[in-house]
This record gives sequence, C-alpha cells and structure tokens, in this order.
Amino acid sequence: MLEAIGLVKRYGQVTALDGFTLSVAPGEITGLVGHNGAGKTTFTRIVAGLAAPDAGHITVAGLAPRRAARLIGVAPQEISLYPAVTVRESLCMFGGLHGLRRKSLAAAIGEVSDALCLGGFLDTRIASLSGGQQRRAQAAVALLHRPPLVLLDEPTAGVDPQTRRALLAALRQRAADGAAIVYTTHYLPELADLQATLAVARGGRIIARGTAQQLMAGLPGQITLDLGDEVLTVPATDTAATLAQLLTTINKPLRGVSVTEPSLDDLYQAVASHA
Amino acid sequence: MPDDSSLRTRALRVTALTRHNLLLRRRDPANLITYVITPMVLIALFKPVLTRLMPYGGTAQDVTGMLVLTSTLTLQIVGMSLLSERTWRTWEMLRSTPATAAELLIGKALPVLAVLLLQQVVVIGYGVAVAGLRMSGLPVLLLLALLVWSITLLAAGSLLATLVRSHSQLTVLTDIGAIVLSTLAGALLPLSMMPSIARHIAPASPGYWAISMLKAAIRGDAAGTLAPAAILGGIALVAGAIACMRLRRGLALLRS
Repeated sequence: MLEAIGLVKRYGQVTALDGFTLSVAPGEITGLVGHNGAGKTTFTRIVAGLAAPDAGHITVAGLAPRRAARLIGVAPQEISLYPAVTVRESLCMFGGLHGLRRKSLAAAIGEVSDALCLGGFLDTRIASLSGGQQRRAQAAVALLHRPPLVLLDEPTAGVDPQTRRALLAALRQRAADGAAIVYTTHYLPELADLQATLAVARGGRIIARGTAQQLMAGLPGQITLDLGDEVLTVPATDTAATLAQLLTTINKPLRGVSVTEPSLDDLYQAVASHA
Repeated sequence: MPDDSSLRTRALRVTALTRHNLLLRRRDPANLITYVITPMVLIALFKPVLTRLMPYGGTAQDVTGMLVLTSTLTLQIVGMSLLSERTWRTWEMLRSTPATAAELLIGKALPVLAVLLLQQVVVIGYGVAVAGLRMSGLPVLLLLALLVWSITLLAAGSLLATLVRSHSQLTVLTDIGAIVLSTLAGALLPLSMMPSIARHIAPASPGYWAISMLKAAIRGDAAGTLAPAAILGGIALVAGAIACMRLRRGLALLRS
C-alpha cells in the first residue's frame, strides 16, 4: 500500500530525511518510533502530500501521494479542527471533500461515531470539547472515508485511557478490514496492544524494521536472584539456560528469583543507542 | 474509485467548502455587524455637514465615502478568514484532501465575497431608504461597481494575509491603512476641500477609484463607472495573482 524508498528531505541546512525507506502492506499496522527530530513527522507530511521529497521515490497504492489523497486519512500531531463548528459539521465538511454524500456520509459518520464513542458530543462545538474528545474527533476525520492508508501522528498524546482504548480498538478493526496504518508514537506499549510491526527512525532514516519478536530476539532480558544478604542481577539473552547455569553455581540459599523479558522500551533504547 | 478531477466532483467539493465557510462566517458575525452599523451612524452624523458643504451631491459623497471607508476596514474579515486557518492548523488538513488549491481558494473566497457584497448593499440600501440618496442610474450598474470593489477588497485582503505574520499585524495594517487610504481618497471630506498635496496623491489610493466609480454608478454614468472599474480590476488582478501564488505554497511563508 505504501512504498517509500530512499526519501531525502532538506530544510535549508537541516536534513530531515536522509534515505528514509519504509513499506507498509494492506492490513499492517506499523509503529513508527524514534526520538524527536528523527524524521517521523516529515515522513508523514510527505506521505500525506503536504511536502515533496528532494530525492527518493514514494507511492501510495502505486500513485504519487497527491494523486492518492482520497486513499489517505491523516490525523496530525496537533489538533487541526475548526473550533467554532461541531464535530458533526467537521465530519460533514471533510467527508464532502473526500466525495461522501448524503446517505454514504451519514453512514460513515454513524460508523466512526460508534467506533470512537463520539455520540455524546457529536453536536458539540470543537472548542467546547476536552483534549481527549478533540483527539477522538480528529481521528474520526482521518477514518471517516475508510481510507486504505491511515496516518496517525501521536494520536494519543495526552489522552485519557478511555480515548486510548477506543482509538486502538478502532484501528485494530480497520487493520483487520485491510487498511494499512502508520502509527507514530512515543508510547511503545500501545504498539504491543496493536500488534504492530516496528519501524525505528533515527537521523532521518529507518534503522530497524520488523516485528517486535524479530527485533527483540537477541535482546537481553534480566534475571534477578534474591540471595538474602545480596540481590544479584544478571542480563541474559537466553534466560532459561542462564538461570539453570546460575542455579548450579550459586552456593547460597535462594530467597527468590524473577525473570524480566525485554520490553519494547528496551528494544528502542538498544536500537537507538547502537545504530 | 470516483474520478477526483471530474467537473461534478470538483463542484461538489467547492460546494462543501463554501457551505462550511459560510457556516464559519455565521458563527462569527461580530465584524460584519460592526461594519454595517458603523457606516450607518457615520452617514447620519456627516450628512448635515456634507450637504451644507456640497449642496449638489452631498448625500452621494456621504454614502459612498462612508461605504468606502468602512468596506476598506472589512479587509480585516478577508485577512482573518485566511490567517485563522493557520491559527487552527486547518489549512494542511484541507490540503491533505483531494481538493485542489484552486478549489480551496474558491471555497474560501465565495463566502467572504458574499459578506463584502452584503455589507455594501446594506449600506447603499440604508443610504437610499434613510439618508435620501437618489439613484439616477440602473441598479445593475451599481451592483457591478459594488462587485468590482468587493473583488478588489478580497484580492487585497488575501494578499495582506499572506504578507503579515500575525493577527495583530493584520489589525494594525488594516486599521491604519484603511483609515489613511480612505481619507486620502476623499472618503471623509471631498477632495476639493483637502490640501493640494492630498489631491495629487489621492489616485494612488484604490479608494479614490472606488468613490469615483460608485458616484458615477449612482448618477448613471456608465463610462465614468467602467474606467475606474477597469483600474480597480487591474489592482485586483495583480494582488489576487500574488496572493494565489503565496497561498498555493500552503501559507508556508506565514511562519511566525
């Protein structure tokens, strides 16, 4: 669905993207992670047709991004909605720009309203909504026309658990229906919830790509042994074998053992610091 | 997949944008109300003075002058309607849709043009109904003049919006610019009563041509209407072209 190869984007002396390559298949949720300035937002803007790369090649369903606008749903990092209109009026306008009319528009609004629990504030002006409700409204705009490619840039920043759950559930459903989703975030546990593949960006390029299991293979977990008068912490790639070996070599009585598997945070730290 | 470039699809997108922008205008009527009430008050206050100074044409001077003065202040409505898209960060949301830059601009411009025309028609209507303005010309000639002046304001306001960096800059420019340029154009006092230097530089103000055009339309002078209309059309064309070029770049030049 999305093919980006060797994208380069410069703003004056600053190179925002430096050979950024990423493919996302239909039905796949890709978690795009990286520090601030890694190039995530620039990449999202290029996919959305809001900026052109200086070099490289990008297609959405085989089309240039600008020609594929109807196939893309975008929720930018910051709230980008008209404060004086209601959620329904916003959805009507953006739906209209994506070619939805009357019955199809009403059906689409009903669908995203159910999926993101907008019913209670569908006819409330954006300016009167809480931050979490505004986030849901913005995600609804992105999902409204059932785009085959959804771009969400930190859609859960600062939101309550209810909003997060509703949004993640809606995205899982869309992916199950075949949509490709690029999900930019700093909250890595969300990516585990979404069963997303990972793309780790650094310095304007992707430095690691794959499923969490693939990328975490070889990443050390941690074994903690409570020996009464001391606590022993040992990093271990193969925790079972290492634990067995430790138990045969320790002469003190063992009060307790805990094994911690590597987390996505560990993965991110390891990849980002070693790349 | 529907054809995004078909005429019908384009028209439907422009309709959606126009409807939405009309809604935005309805939700924020304060400026329009101000610019409708203010000229009515000014016309009533200045009429006794101007009719004494100008026994023939004093009312026309009063109505057209106040109309040009206050309609120039509506540049702020035009500018704000564009600048607000940056404040709300909605311009990029619009640009990420299938709508083209031209469609976005038309959808934005039509409701603002309607507001500008409405303000001027109401002021002229008040001039005729209350201030005793006598119309000798065809209404269609006056409507044409009002349309030309509205388009000029729309183009100038759009250009201003692409040049300034904030709402406060826009307010300062439109307030000072509108009052100075309109006064120089002879909106408050007839040019014949102003210092000779003012009379010499008056043609540099678009308001000068607007007052000439409107007075000619009121007295039914088609040639006297069309000549200044052509000059204003030229100003609108240049300002509009520059504004469009800058707007097509997604208000990228408007970084604060």
